Amino acid sequence: MLKKFNYTVATLSRMTGWVAAAMIVLSVLVVCEMVFVRYVLRGSVVWQTEFVTYLLIAATIVGSPFVLLTKGHVNVDLLGQYLGPRARYLVAIVATVIALGFCLIAAWSGYTEWHEAWSNDWLSDTVWAVRLWIPYAAMPIGFGLLSLQYVADLLALITGQEMPFAPKEGEPV
Amino acid sequence: MSPILLGVLVAVSLIVVLLLGTPVAFALGAVAIAFLVIFEGPSRLSLVGETLFGGLNEFALLSIPMFILMGAAVASSRAGSDLYEALERWLYRVPGGLLISNLGACAVFAALSGSSPATCAAIGKMGIPEMQKRGYPDGLATGAIGAGGTLGILIPPSITMIVYGIATETSIGRLFIAGILPGIMLTSLFMAWSLFYAHRKGVKFQIGMDVYTLKQKLELLPRVLPFLAIIVFVLWALYGGVATPSEAAGVGALFVIVLVAVIYKMISPKDWWAVLHSATRESVMIMMIIGTAALFSYMMSSLYITQAIAESIAAMDVSKWVLLLYVNLFLLLAGLFLPPVAVILMTAPTLLPIVVAAGFDPIWFGVILTLNMEIGLITPPVGLNLYVLNSIAPKVKLTTILWGSLPFMLCMVLGIILITVFPGIATWLPEALMGVRI
Repeated sequence: MLKKFNYTVATLSRMTGWVAAAMIVLSVLVVCEMVFVRYVLRGSVVWQTEFVTYLLIAATIVGSPFVLLTKGHVNVDLLGQYLGPRARYLVAIVATVIALGFCLIAAWSGYTEWHEAWSNDWLSDTVWAVRLWIPYAAMPIGFGLLSLQYVADLLALITGQEMPFAPKEGEPV
Repeated sequence: MSPILLGVLVAVSLIVVLLLGTPVAFALGAVAIAFLVIFEGPSRLSLVGETLFGGLNEFALLSIPMFILMGAAVASSRAGSDLYEALERWLYRVPGGLLISNLGACAVFAALSGSSPATCAAIGKMGIPEMQKRGYPDGLATGAIGAGGTLGILIPPSITMIVYGIATETSIGRLFIAGILPGIMLTSLFMAWSLFYAHRKGVKFQIGMDVYTLKQKLELLPRVLPFLAIIVFVLWALYGGVATPSEAAGVGALFVIVLVAVIYKMISPKDWWAVLHSATRESVMIMMIIGTAALFSYMMSSLYITQAIAESIAAMDVSKWVLLLYVNLFLLLAGLFLPPVAVILMTAPTLLPIVVAAGFDPIWFGVILTLNMEIGLITPPVGLNLYVLNSIAPKVKLTTILWGSLPFMLCMVLGIILITVFPGIATWLPEALMGVRI
């Protein structure tokens, strides 16, 4: 049951990595298109700047669970080296709970922001006038999945499936 | 509670949460939320989403993932070793040419990749064994590469400078140009020290060298020069005001990707997914810190802490040089524990008004700040480059690497002093190219 939950969450998080990577690639292409229109065709650009900025925000928030899964969010893991196993375990749990708390609040606050934009039909104050609920949706989705990944991490810690302060992927050991 | 006392409390809480091992991004967010809720009430919670979103809602930030992608593409190809090889073939006759080509390759690769650990890894993998083979002491070989790697955040394009530019609303183009001369100066200082030390240790500079023909010298250039052309193009577009940083970075990234695919025949989807994987990881990590740092600085100024610190420092009435000394020590200390981006986002908005009020130039201060961050990269406890060196040269003891890095760290301190005494090293080039800042 627990294994299945952790596996499902990890799969979801891995998918967010694909989504974020695709968004970054898409924004490179759109920026190049924009440069072409602006400097070669001497045309005016309407939607590109705003579109790529929203893509970047979405890539950051939605891609975050993937970065957490691959232990890519930098931290200061000094204390872990000097503590005994039991203290290290407690410290890891406290650190995870703090981060989870932040992510839950951000998810909830992002959701209310999204809901307001949705029900009041907010538009961005640019020529393109985007419906703001679309970019805002990144917050409840991204922080929601991030919280889920943290819950999975916490469960793995408590049940002893994962060692606290395990070496990170791609990091010299 | 007075804002200053509150500031101390914020600092202590943040240090505790960071030491627990909470990721920097979420530690900043959690501390910000806790203080807002305790001192301004739970209604502040509704601001979290909006502030975070606002902190990321900036077109110029897009240049960060673009440059990271560009760097990741270069780092995954053999461009680093080709660059090293090319310099070596041209400089093999110069006494100590190996040291010069290693540090030179670091400086150029730093420009290409914008990343310090990537530079260390790319050049060090080739350079360290070669230097060891020719009798250079281990400490010198690893120290030089570690220090050369730190140039990644000084020589443009530099992610650190972009973040500083956005956090303090200074021109990113100017900051980039301002990093060029200090970068060259630092590279020269590193070279001077290495040559001096190697000479003193009795390293014979010219033994056992291969002789290269003109053909061998020329054959690598078509693979190396196009990459350099892209960097020159990016800088030209920026300083000429032709394009915004994000535009230049986007086009630069596309060109580099095409070049890597064409020159190094890197076309397998697996290789490119690896590039994208590492670029996404690094961008998201940095951008998340930028988002939550917005929340953190909102809290700091909403609770009047930022303003109170600035006022009390102004009231201290110390000479501007004493002030600068304190600022440098503070940055150095912060840089020892935290990644450069986090230090800049947390401190620059508070420090810059103080430094500017004391009569210093914001562009110049950006360079000084970056040099401080460079020192942190090769100093324990979290010197990123040291760990990279440790993994690419596993036979060299960490203490040897540390002692080898120390003189280079002193070169950087000397660099800070020189740029402080002669601010023109940082400010002359941007002013000559882009006119005096208004």
